Amino acid sequence: MKKRKTLALIALAVVCVCAAAPLLAACNASGGGIMSGGADTLVIYNWEDYIDTDLLDEFATYYREVTGRKLDITYSTFDTNETMLTQVMRGETAVDVVCPSEYAIQRLMTAGLLADQKALVEQYSAIYPEAFTHLSNSETDGNINSTVLDKIGEIFGEMKVGDKVVDMRDYMVPYMWGTLGLLYNTKIITEEQLDKYGWGLLWNEADIPELENMILMKDSVRDSYAAVVLYMEKYKLLPDAVSDTYGKRFDELTVNELINCTDRPLLERAEELLTAQRDHISGYEVDFGKDDMINEIVYLDLAWSGDALWAIEESEYYEDTDTYQLGYYVPEKSNIWYDGWAVLESSDSKLAAMMFIDYMCTPEAGARNIGVIGYTSAVDQELMRYDYGAAQALLDEEVEYLWYANAEECEIYTDKNGGLFFYFEWVDGEGYYRDLFGKKIPDEKIPDELTLFAAETDEDGYYRLPKNIADFLPEGMESYPLDEDYIVCPDSISLFYDDEGRYPEITENLGVMRDYGAANEDVVNMWQRAKAGGVPDSLWWCLLAIVLFVAVVPGAYFIKEAVKARPRKIVKKHDGSDSE
Amino acid sequence: MTNAAVAVSKPKWRFKLTKRVFSYPYVLFMLLFVVIPLVMILVNAFLDADNNLTLENFADFFTDKSSLVILANSLLVGVITTAICLIIGYPLAYFLSKMPSGRVLVLFYVLPMWVNFLIRTLATKAIFIAMDVTLGMGTVIFGMVYNYLPFMILPLHTTLSSIDRSYIEAAQDLGADSSTVFLKTVLPLSVSGIISGITMVFIPTISTFAISQLLSNGKIFLFGDSIQMKFEQGLYGVGSIMSLVMLVFVLVSNFIINRASRKSGLSVGRSLW
Repeated sequence: MKKRKTLALIALAVVCVCAAAPLLAACNASGGGIMSGGADTLVIYNWEDYIDTDLLDEFATYYREVTGRKLDITYSTFDTNETMLTQVMRGETAVDVVCPSEYAIQRLMTAGLLADQKALVEQYSAIYPEAFTHLSNSETDGNINSTVLDKIGEIFGEMKVGDKVVDMRDYMVPYMWGTLGLLYNTKIITEEQLDKYGWGLLWNEADIPELENMILMKDSVRDSYAAVVLYMEKYKLLPDAVSDTYGKRFDELTVNELINCTDRPLLERAEELLTAQRDHISGYEVDFGKDDMINEIVYLDLAWSGDALWAIEESEYYEDTDTYQLGYYVPEKSNIWYDGWAVLESSDSKLAAMMFIDYMCTPEAGARNIGVIGYTSAVDQELMRYDYGAAQALLDEEVEYLWYANAEECEIYTDKNGGLFFYFEWVDGEGYYRDLFGKKIPDEKIPDELTLFAAETDEDGYYRLPKNIADFLPEGMESYPLDEDYIVCPDSISLFYDDEGRYPEITENLGVMRDYGAANEDVVNMWQRAKAGGVPDSLWWCLLAIVLFVAVVPGAYFIKEAVKARPRKIVKKHDGSDSE
Repeated sequence: MTNAAVAVSKPKWRFKLTKRVFSYPYVLFMLLFVVIPLVMILVNAFLDADNNLTLENFADFFTDKSSLVILANSLLVGVITTAICLIIGYPLAYFLSKMPSGRVLVLFYVLPMWVNFLIRTLATKAIFIAMDVTLGMGTVIFGMVYNYLPFMILPLHTTLSSIDRSYIEAAQDLGADSSTVFLKTVLPLSVSGIISGITMVFIPTISTFAISQLLSNGKIFLFGDSIQMKFEQGLYGVGSIMSLVMLVFVLVSNFIINRASRKSGLSVGRSLW
């Protein structure tokens, strides 16, 4: 009887739960709508710490100005592409805009979950033409860096989705991009060694004694795989065979083909090399590598460009040589990655979603995001260089990528033709010239006769904007675009926009990684085998020691008993008659 | 007459505030957070990526040598950690139980448990790095022992200090020397403490992943790490199988321990229902 009651109770509880689950889900899905009382909603799903959150409120205000409707933004974050994919593909969360990496976008696209943004822009720009000026359409190319777009087109230009052939560039807008490279300690590793050994440094091919066990690898299958195949390529360790996928020999594959190749011989070789690497490295990381590099717990780390730039800025600066404690090096052949905004087909707020993406493509938003997160925005740097909003965002005290020109650090010259030349000399005897916007002036273009330009300074030594500045601007520009009162230091502009770590030259030696597709499980298993190694000998020794120890204790007891047992017999003989 | 008969036979459900009512919230909790997740793991174990029924996940796991090596590693680490905890913990608990101030001293050993174990592990790592110790198997085992030692000491101390002194005195009166007293009186009487100590250390150690990951920079890869990676990479089927394997190990070790304790006539943890 008792049992039956309990069983009935369980059944009841299960029914309750089953009934409640869809109800809860329904509440969740329509939650925003009910509570906001008619306002439009936008659910953004982005990486953690991957946006200047003030932009969200500003976008809501902007949306109201344009459409006259209120907008409620829900901003949520994920920590890995896989988490995002699970949430979105299983339909567990209702999302309008996501910002995952290229291969996750590919997966979402092949599953048919993404909306065609090109069509959406066309549709909406008919209604709000002023709200879609930053995205590419039939008339303009938009604000996105065209070389990045071309690179995406190379790999994802003709994707098969269902029975259609589509271009990924119509389904997403790049947000941030970067490279995979080596974050290194400049005291331990020299630039010659970097050029000579490249990825081999992760295996300590240079045999630097300090580097042994001081290397961190990324605890991420895709990045580690890219690094290992490019290492094989450089050291001619590729399998001596023909690739089944491409029908070419492995050593004839391009970078793009190589890092996307998951043929069995290549996987096996990768496993061998990654297993061998275990003897040289300190371990695998995804988040603490930057700190360990700064604190000199390790000297070399496989890193993404954004993380690396952040770490370099946080690291020590040596004034005498004008160098930092850390450096970032992208080997000749490497991986280029990007994250992009995609709109889900199931979204009810596609207008708000597209307007948001457009808003993120303004030079100001791009610059502000760089300032907050440190990664490279996909907004064209040549647009940002001349943009007021972008300059002001980078001049911000908390960011300080740009600063105002000061009489202490630079001298301004002019020549007969009315050009401006900014002279900098950080290290004695190694001076150089920059123009007003930080462009490098080649030696042959520097006139022999330069006269000091009479620029007014304020009490702190900062150059005020000359009244006749319009005379020195390039044609078509009426006023100084970056600031109202002061001159922005051209060297800071150059340091920011000409930094090879932030804006590397995009060549064919940088490959984009595709989704592994069906081979994903094989690659993951390969990575697990490499990471697990075998049963370490130390474990067996440890076990043996414990077994011995445990054996010794009772052994000692029995020996003691045996020793005691002998004299007791003698005692019994003498005192036996006495007792009892 | 018929009316009355109907009234009597009609089952009437009346709410009675019995003791059992108070257990209902726990039953509900168990259902929501224990039974249902387990059922979900069980279902996932038989599904492939496209949600079709399959047994391939089993084959994948049991034919993959690396998974088995990782499992062996985990079990070895578990056995070694438990043994070290017992070797350190038993004498400590024994002497503490003899001391009049033992109760207070035990508190000192339990004190670190009040700090979150992740913070403790990170602090341990920082100490190792400051001391220039290479992170690896040694540091992982140290971390495990450090984290789980209190779980060994507490039950041992409770059992040892609850042993009636008169048994020991009786043994001494009958002429047993101190080592015999210990082996023939104290040790058999503390078996229940040893068993619950082993349970409380072995079972969590075979499934940890944070300690091994942090204290070896991910170089030591245990079964828990492997399960975590499988779920992270979206390989739910194999991940679920591995969770089930882990569960089987927990159940088997529980069964063995229960059998052992029943043999010694003591019960460690009764069944809940």
